[in-house]
Amino acid sequence: MPVDSRRLQGPETTFSYHLYVNKQPQTHSQWVKQVLKSNGKRSDGRKLDDIRKIFLKTSVMSQAKGSAYIEVGNTKVICSAFDPREIPNNNKFSLNGELFCEFKFANFSQKKRRGFIRDAEEKDLSVCLKRALEPAVCRHEFPNFQVDVYALVLEDDGSALAAAITCASLALADASIPMYDLVTALTLGVHGDHKFLDPTSEEERLCCHEPPGQNKNHGLIVLAYATELQQVTQLKQIGVMDSEFLIEASNSLSSHCSQTHKLSQQCLAQVVLKTTKEKKRLLELGETFKKMDVGSQKD
Amino acid sequence: MASLMLGEGEKMLILHGVEDDMRNDGRTRRKYRPMELETNVVSHANGSARLRLANTDILVGIKTEIDCPFPETPNLGKIEFFVDCSANATPAFEGRGGEDLAMEISNSLACAYNSFPLDQLCITKGEQCWKLYADILILECGGNLYDAVSIAVKAALSSTEVPKVVGTVLDGGTVDLVLSDDPFDCQKLDVRRAPLLVTLCKIGDFCVVDPTAEEEMCSVASMVVSVLENGTVSSSFKCGAGSLHSETVKEALKIGKEVGQSLNQELEEILLEEQNLGPKRELFGFLK
Amino acid sequence: MPPDTQIKETEDIICVPGLRICAADNKHVAGKGTYERQGYIYSTLAGILHLVQQKEEGFVVEVHSSNEQSVVPVPGNIVTAKVMTINLRMAICQIRCIGDTVLSQPYRGILRREDIRATEKDKVEVYNSVRPGDIILARVLPVNEVQSYQLSTAENELGVVIAHTSAGVPMVPISWDQMQCPKTYVKENRKVAKIVPEDIAVD
Repeated sequence: MPVDSRRLQGPETTFSYHLYVNKQPQTHSQWVKQVLKSNGKRSDGRKLDDIRKIFLKTSVMSQAKGSAYIEVGNTKVICSAFDPREIPNNNKFSLNGELFCEFKFANFSQKKRRGFIRDAEEKDLSVCLKRALEPAVCRHEFPNFQVDVYALVLEDDGSALAAAITCASLALADASIPMYDLVTALTLGVHGDHKFLDPTSEEERLCCHEPPGQNKNHGLIVLAYATELQQVTQLKQIGVMDSEFLIEASNSLSSHCSQTHKLSQQCLAQVVLKTTKEKKRLLELGETFKKMDVGSQKD
Repeated sequence: MASLMLGEGEKMLILHGVEDDMRNDGRTRRKYRPMELETNVVSHANGSARLRLANTDILVGIKTEIDCPFPETPNLGKIEFFVDCSANATPAFEGRGGEDLAMEISNSLACAYNSFPLDQLCITKGEQCWKLYADILILECGGNLYDAVSIAVKAALSSTEVPKVVGTVLDGGTVDLVLSDDPFDCQKLDVRRAPLLVTLCKIGDFCVVDPTAEEEMCSVASMVVSVLENGTVSSSFKCGAGSLHSETVKEALKIGKEVGQSLNQELEEILLEEQNLGPKRELFGFLK
Repeated sequence: MPPDTQIKETEDIICVPGLRICAADNKHVAGKGTYERQGYIYSTLAGILHLVQQKEEGFVVEVHSSNEQSVVPVPGNIVTAKVMTINLRMAICQIRCIGDTVLSQPYRGILRREDIRATEKDKVEVYNSVRPGDIILARVLPVNEVQSYQLSTAENELGVVIAHTSAGVPMVPISWDQMQCPKTYVKENRKVAKIVPEDIAVD
């Protein structure tokens, strides 16, 4: 394992203190009860098929060509996209442009501290992000070039990949990279008979465990959907479940994705409206200055 | 992947072949190419297997080591996958060329093996566990790497023998293990919950099982489904640059489940058959 | 923009990627910032809809991005480039503008010796045609296996536009292959671009 010696490293063998406090519920049913209240509501008051409140904002970074920021509950992701640039040390001509994606957890984004060197999980998620966005980008418009997209998770409270996909697609649109459609993504956590739409990290943790009952389905499904194209751009599922259940779940996820798709569209439209208004105002201002200039010359 | 030049006419031929359910090599859409599988081919590994699926050649070696379990999961062992794309397969893999592909395969295996019961690798809870290193060598690639690799890994795991621990000695707070002196005193792993990956390659309007390298060139997206013996799915993901319609996803999952289940069954039968030949069976190795 | 076309102002119709704009028929053709799929025109950018009136009946549907649109050189484009280094075979340039859009980052372009002028190609010397620091107008050639763009100045209107003497004085073109310093009257060889007068008037 290569280590960056310029940065401060912790001792090699340390454990998060969370292992000792916040003791896991002793029995399985207690755990489920902790996550899902008896009235069918989750610990944050949502119903099982409610998504968390989403906040979207574009052009949050001045140095990137395009950028976007998303908050889904406590999950916060910031994305930036850059202009097409020449592919470094590439020696063959490619007709389609490349999309380079990097998905990174900030060191402090989870309970357990993440390292700064990209680990296998982050590399896997980077590939997922790339595969989810690729079908939506008009890659033929920049042959032999690559567009860089960086997603940084500032705080991970579940569904980080889904948030990053939605956010990165907005960042690309903000960077004026031609796209066939906007991509939105959602996560579904499955635990026995319970289906948690847009799970928090606590719910995700529960879903990674096998339930004791008859119904052994458990796991997480992330679906990225291009609503206008009616295409699934990425489906990633981990955990054991029946294929019939998976089919049904992916169908319901895609219809939920269409709803967040509207939010993304709205957010972009507002930005366009704002910038065009600003442009018009500047143009008018310029006109009046010109008139004043002409007037003063006459005098 | 190995770059292959394919003309428009050739692509059309493959496309029409898939439409008519009669592919270039005479297979139907849901048929695999012939496979050759042999286990215990590498003497230094605890378990190994070599799979040849038409032109795809995979060699897997399993090594076991003793490690500390993760503090979050004190009663589970560990398994790690390393894929090495040999430059023998194609010069494009030379240096770091095959790294991206290798990473995708190893990550997909790691995801798929979440169903694998790792508690059988526990030695003493919270102190020591077995760690399995599955080293996958891609010697030649003729398409459908995911399926081939997963079959080879499962076969290698089934042949893996973990030395028996006969006792532990507590020595100043650290636990020392005593392994059996007899090198044949080993235990086999339970691989019933090891998944197989099935790639469903979308060509035209159809999903094709076991695509050749040429067929992979004609497709922009495929679904990879990892299927357990009982037909449940332990992971699935899309690979390739394209996207899929919901209906295609549905069909792919359905076919993947059926194909995966029968593949699991067949593999189990073949492995049993090989085992029944006994330890004195003739080894073919690479001579064929 | 050719003089026989005019932009029809739309009442600020906002488009986002993937938005269906209209049906593609004889009167509506997909233009910049849009794509056509299954008989409809969709937007690929977030921006404002523009309808460009063609001479004959019909419109070109375009979407203009509200932000600066990223452009990459396409074969056939006229680009403005700065010569960085020269050697016997070629001049290595940095493409700064495509048409009249300024690039946010330069792209590498190569002007080969045989692409400098159209006639007597074998007698061309790179040093007597362009020098480091010159600003040239060039056309992008069709891309082949090479990584960077290949440029050509083999047209009357293409070649060196701005050049300075070693002392830093801007030179004045005196013929198609010479420029002169207005201070010292020293002549230097260049492949000079014949600038169309209207363009000068605009500047």
